[in-house]
Amino acid sequence: MESSALARFEAVVLPHLDAAYTLARYLMRNASDADDVVQDACLRALKYFDGFRGEAGTSARAWLLTIVRNTAHTWRERHRPEALAVEFDEREHSEAIAERDPEAKETLGRALERLAPEFREVIVLRELQGLSYKEIGDVTGVPVGTVMSRLSRARARLQEALREEEVR
Amino acid sequence: MSHPNFEAQLDAYLDGELTAGDVRTLETHLAQCVECTRFRDRRLELRAAIVAGIPTFQAPPALRDRIRAAARTGSALETKRAPRRFTMRTLWRPLALAASLAVVAIGGWSLALQHVAGEALADNVLASHVRSLMPGHLTDVLSSDQHTVKPWFNGRLDYSPSVYDFAGRGYPLLGGRLDYVGGRPVAALVYGRRQHVINVFVWPTTSGPTGGSNQRDRQGYHMLHWTTPDYTYWVVSDLGLAELQDFAQLLRQADSIR
Repeated sequence: MESSALARFEAVVLPHLDAAYTLARYLMRNASDADDVVQDACLRALKYFDGFRGEAGTSARAWLLTIVRNTAHTWRERHRPEALAVEFDEREHSEAIAERDPEAKETLGRALERLAPEFREVIVLRELQGLSYKEIGDVTGVPVGTVMSRLSRARARLQEALREEEVR
Repeated sequence: MSHPNFEAQLDAYLDGELTAGDVRTLETHLAQCVECTRFRDRRLELRAAIVAGIPTFQAPPALRDRIRAAARTGSALETKRAPRRFTMRTLWRPLALAASLAVVAIGGWSLALQHVAGEALADNVLASHVRSLMPGHLTDVLSSDQHTVKPWFNGRLDYSPSVYDFAGRGYPLLGGRLDYVGGRPVAALVYGRRQHVINVFVWPTTSGPTGGSNQRDRQGYHMLHWTTPDYTYWVVSDLGLAELQDFAQLLRQADSIR
């Protein structure tokens, strides 16, 4: 990569690496897979960077997060097909967690990990990374109205989890 | 407004995603619907719980290095992966708390160290300001309505901070936040000026001389500090100094006629 483009990549994309890693962590639910996904995503970002004409700042972040999100999805299909199947049955999945760690108690973080991916990602993008509905729609490829209803349903589920946590 | 649609509408309202017209409709409805007000409060609690309980992560330094190296060489990254890595949990909050406790320890030490403590407190305030600018950390209660922000602190603090809206003067109220500064929970009020964020930290004055004020610059931020017999103020922003002083003046005036 020539030096001016390199400087631009470092200035525009790399500041959002923590955001990319956080999203990958919550999508993949473990550190090593997140590491792989972010690495793959950044390779793609490098490759397509010439095609990226956005301004520095929020839109670069949304652009990188879109790539991370799509990479995570592809990666799960290819490497962890069983993980996709498990997600169709949340209860089964939560039992799997309980088996691994019988002491584990319900926490908000755990409740987030148990949400279906389309709910999990809107929470991460909004609550942890402060993206606008429009940006979340761009990243996840759905209309703003869908973003709005998914966020609301995801929050309702987290709220239930929070209540259970308080009851304990 | 019909209730089936209300939850998503209210979420959009708290997220600052409703149009001005919808905001008015919804606020009118909120004012007369106990059920919906309760719903809103639960959502605000959830938001605070998310901020407190769901961490963000930092990319491992080795990952960052590999990506930077790949960009420099222009070649594909090695297919060989780094060894499976430990979890990089964010240590921000525990560190911030430790820093706060350190301030308490220093402050209680002796009068000779009061100046040091003052500087440490400024560091503490600045750290809170910077942390608040990280995504999702700015406000616990997101509202431009002072009559929403002020009561939000009830039960969360043992004092009730004055909240003003200077939107008419170009400093709209954005919301409020519970923060932890100098070893105690404090109110942080968030105001805006164009793209700039102004944090106002306020807590009851407990000791020391009052009436003094000072100004310092750190890491590109301006910090204004003053005390009244009732309250201690810290105002922090990357806004130009003249404008920040103008804002502080508005705040002092509003407080003096309270």
